[in-house]
Amino acid sequence: MLTCDDYLIPTSLDDALELMTRHSGRQRIVAGATDILPWAREGRAGDVHVEHLIDISKVAELNEVSFGKGRVRLGAATPFQRFLDRDDLVKALPNMRHCAIWFADDQIRECATVGGNLANASPAADGTPPFLALDAEIELARREDGRTVRRRMPLSQFITGPGGNQLVTDELIVAIECDALPDYGGSFEKVGHRRSLVIAVACVSALVSIDRSGRHFDDVRLAVGGVGPKALRLADVEALLRGAPIEAGVIDEASRLPLDLVQSRTRQAYRREVFRGFVSRALAGAARDAGAEIDAVEAELEVHHHA
Amino acid sequence: MPDMIVEATVNGRKIKKIAQTHQRLLDFVREELELTGTKDGCGAGECGACSMFVDGRLVKSCLVPVGKAQGSEVETIEGLGRTGELSVMQKAFHKAGASQCGYCIPGMVMAATAAIRVNPAVGDEEIKERLGGNICRCTGYQKIFDAVGLARDVMNGRLPATALDEDAAEGGRYIGANVRRLDAPSKVSGALKYAGDQVMPQMLHVQVLRSPHAHARIVSIDTSEAEAMEGVEAVVTSADVPGKDGFGVFVHDQPIMARGKVRYVGEAIAAVAAEDLLTAKRALQKIRIEWEQLAGLFDPDEAMQAGAPVVHDYAPDNLVKHIPIRKGDVERGFAEADLVIEERFETQQVEHAYLEPEAGIGYVDPDGVVTIVSPSQNITHHRHMLAEILAMPINKVRFVMSPVGGGFGGKEDMIYQGMLALLAIKSRRPVKLVFTREESIATTAKRHPSRTSYRMGLTNDGRIVASEIRVIYDGGAYGMSTEGVIRKGAILAAGPYAVPNVKIDTYGVYTNNTPSGAFRSFGSLQTQFATESMLDMAAENLGLDPFEIRRINAMQAGDLTHTKQELKSVSLLQCLDGAEKASGWETGAPTVRGATREDLDGEGCRKPCRLGARFHAEIPAPKLSEVA
Repeated sequence: MLTCDDYLIPTSLDDALELMTRHSGRQRIVAGATDILPWAREGRAGDVHVEHLIDISKVAELNEVSFGKGRVRLGAATPFQRFLDRDDLVKALPNMRHCAIWFADDQIRECATVGGNLANASPAADGTPPFLALDAEIELARREDGRTVRRRMPLSQFITGPGGNQLVTDELIVAIECDALPDYGGSFEKVGHRRSLVIAVACVSALVSIDRSGRHFDDVRLAVGGVGPKALRLADVEALLRGAPIEAGVIDEASRLPLDLVQSRTRQAYRREVFRGFVSRALAGAARDAGAEIDAVEAELEVHHHA
Repeated sequence: MPDMIVEATVNGRKIKKIAQTHQRLLDFVREELELTGTKDGCGAGECGACSMFVDGRLVKSCLVPVGKAQGSEVETIEGLGRTGELSVMQKAFHKAGASQCGYCIPGMVMAATAAIRVNPAVGDEEIKERLGGNICRCTGYQKIFDAVGLARDVMNGRLPATALDEDAAEGGRYIGANVRRLDAPSKVSGALKYAGDQVMPQMLHVQVLRSPHAHARIVSIDTSEAEAMEGVEAVVTSADVPGKDGFGVFVHDQPIMARGKVRYVGEAIAAVAAEDLLTAKRALQKIRIEWEQLAGLFDPDEAMQAGAPVVHDYAPDNLVKHIPIRKGDVERGFAEADLVIEERFETQQVEHAYLEPEAGIGYVDPDGVVTIVSPSQNITHHRHMLAEILAMPINKVRFVMSPVGGGFGGKEDMIYQGMLALLAIKSRRPVKLVFTREESIATTAKRHPSRTSYRMGLTNDGRIVASEIRVIYDGGAYGMSTEGVIRKGAILAAGPYAVPNVKIDTYGVYTNNTPSGAFRSFGSLQTQFATESMLDMAAENLGLDPFEIRRINAMQAGDLTHTKQELKSVSLLQCLDGAEKASGWETGAPTVRGATREDLDGEGCRKPCRLGARFHAEIPAPKLSEVA
C-alpha cells in the first residue's frame, strides 16, 4: 500500500519543480499513477511510505500539445489514449496509434502518460520504440538557484539501461519532441501473453514512406524493444531498405538482418523467431499504411516465414 | 492519519468529504461515500472491476489516487440508472444472462457503457477491444459481448425496446428457453452486497500475519507490542483457540492459525483487529516471532521416500490418502495386447482466480451467537467444525453465506472464518477481513499438481485391454479436499471407456507447498488429460481416427464403471458425434494430415488476435460530447 503525509497538486511547472526541490529526498512524482500504485504492493515494493507525493498531471505545460517546423511537442503528462482519439496526433504520428492500441487497455491509457512510460525506462516499454523511430528528444527541467533550468537530449541517450535514465535529482521530464510525419505509414507489433494489459515479450515499430510509384521504400525507420537492455533503432536495416523495392524477398532479407540483436536473458530462441516475423510484418504493415499495394507481398511473406 | 477535503460531483450530486491522503478513488467511493457497487478485484489495474468515469473518461479507480478526483465529475455504476430503473445497458446484461457471480459485472457494465458512448455504432470486434481491460472468470465473455451488442442495437433503434424483455417460454416450457436470472438486476446495478461491501457499526479491520517460511518451528510469538498499540483492539494466535483446533474437508489437520510450526509460505500465524486497516497493518510488524528452520519438502515424489521430512506428525509417511482400484488382471491384459504405450504426464498448480477475493465479517450477536458472514461454499460443514474449534454448542455458531463472487471450489476451505470468530469474541466488536489479490493467490488452495505414470495396452483393432495408472497428487501442506480429489481422480482415471483390466493407484501426499484443494473437475482433469492423450497416441500408432478409437471403447448404457456403478444411460456417443460435427473434423488417423488440413482456418476457428478494430469502424465515431 502506498501512503503519504501529503498529496500535492501543483498547477505550474515552476511550482512543481519548487516542491520537488523543497522536499528533495522525501518526495516522489505521480503522473498517471498506473505504475506506482501496483508497485507499492505485496510481492513488489510492499508497503511504501513517501512523505510527499507530487502529482504533476495538473501542470498546464505538461499537458500541452503543439505543432511546429515538422516537429510535435507533447507535454510529458499526455496520456496514451490521446494517440487514439486526437485526429491531429493520429495524422502527425502514424505509428503512435498502433502503439497505443496495444498499450495496456482503454482505462489505463486514459491515465498513463508518455513521460512516465519513458522515465521508467523498461526495456519492454511500448512507448520507446515508436518514439525512437520518430527521432524523439526529451526535454528536462529542474530548479537551480530559484530559476528553472531546462536541457534536452535524444531519447536514445536519455534511457541508459533497464530502469535507468539521465534524470538528475529533482529533475522532471517536461516534454517529448518528435518528428511529425503525416506522409508516412506506421505500424507497431507486440507479442505478450494476452492482448490487453501485457508487458511485451518483444515489440517493434516501423515508419515507412514510399516513392511516387508506390513500389519502392523511400524512407524507412525501424526500432525494437524487449530484446535487450535498451530499445534500439535498426540503422542497418533502414539503410538496406531505403530506395529498395517493396517486395517479399527484400523484406524477408531485412527481417533476418537484426537477429543477432536478440540478446535477452530468457527465451532467446523464441524471441528470435517472433522477432523475425515481427520485423517483416511491421515493415509490410507500415508500407500498407503508407498506401502501398501489399496484399501479394504479405501473402508471399507468410510463405517465406514458414519456410 | 493525514487527510484532505475532497470536493467533487459524484453521480450528479456535489460532495464534500474528508478523505485520507493515501486513499485511492476506489477506496474513497466505497468507504467514504459508501457506494459499494464498484468492486476491488485486484488493486493493480488488471481486472477492471473498479472501472468508473472521471470527467467522462473511463478509468480504473484502483489506480487513481483520490487527490486526482479533486474538483472532478465522477460517475459510478450507481449513477447509471438514476430513475430507479436499470439503464438500457444494464437491462441488456440482464436479458443476455451476462452475469453469473456478478462481481466483475459493475466494471463490465461501465466499460460497455463507455464503448457505446464513444462509438454508438460500435462493432462486435471493437466491443471486444474496448472491454479488453475487464476480466470475467465465469461467463466466458460471449454473453457479455452479446449484451453489449443488444444494448447497441436497441439504442440505435435497430431492435425494439421489447427486445430487452424476457422471452416468452415456448409452449410454457422452460427447459431450453432463455430465462432471465432473478438475481441479475442486483448485480448489473451494483446493489448486491458481497461480504467485502458490508459494514457494521463499530466494525474493526483485520489483517493477518503470514509465514515467510515454508517449514519452520515457531519457538515463540510475542504480540505484546502490537497489542499495546493505540487502535489495536485484539490480537489472536493459536493460543486463543478454546476448543479442538483443526479443520479440513476430510481430515481436520489444519489449525485456525499455525500451531507450533508453519507448513507453507503464507500460512496464517496471528491476526490483528484494529480501528482501521493501516493500524492493523502496522501492528503486524510489531509481532515478534522466533523461528527454528526445518528442512522443507517440495517434491511429491520425494515425499513418498523413506527419510523425507515429515510435514504432519500424524502422517509419518506424508500420505494423505491412497486410493487403489483393481479390476481384472492387467498383466494378462498386457499379454493380450498388440500395442503397449507407456508415458508420463505432469500437470501444474492452478489458481481459481475468482474475481472476488476472500472477505468476511465476524460478530457476536445479542444472543451470544458467533456469526460469520462470508462467501463460503460449504457453510454447514464450516459451522460444525467451528463449533468444535470454539468449544461452543452448534446453536451458538451461525454461518451466513454472502454472495459468492466466484468460487470454483476455491472457497470450500475455512481458512479465515475461524480467525474472524476468535477476534469478534476477543474484541467484542464486529470484525472484517478482506484479502488482497496477492493474499488470495498466495494462501488459498490450488488445483493439485499431479504426476501420472500410464501404461495402456490395446489390440490392433483399437480396443483397450489394460490400463495401469499411477498418479501422485501434491496435496501441499494441509489435507483440505485432497482425499476426495484423489478418489474422484481414481474413479475417473481410466476414462469413460470399457477396459476389462484396470489397475489404478492415486496418492495424495503432504509437502510444504501451498495446499491443494477443490477445483472444478475435482481431481479428474489430471487423469483425463493423461487418458485422452494416451488415446491420441494410440490412434496415431494404430492408424485410427481419434474419434473412432473413442467410439470403439466408449462405455454404453448397461455397462459397469470401473468401480461397479451400473450406467443407466450414456451420452458419450452423441457427445462425440456432436463434437466431430461442430469441429468440422477431417476424418482419418492423426498421421494422414500433411502440411494442410481442411478442418482448420474454417468457420468457428479462432483467428490470431489483432487489435485496431476501431481504426476501421464503418461509421466514424462521433465526438464524446455529442453523445448523451
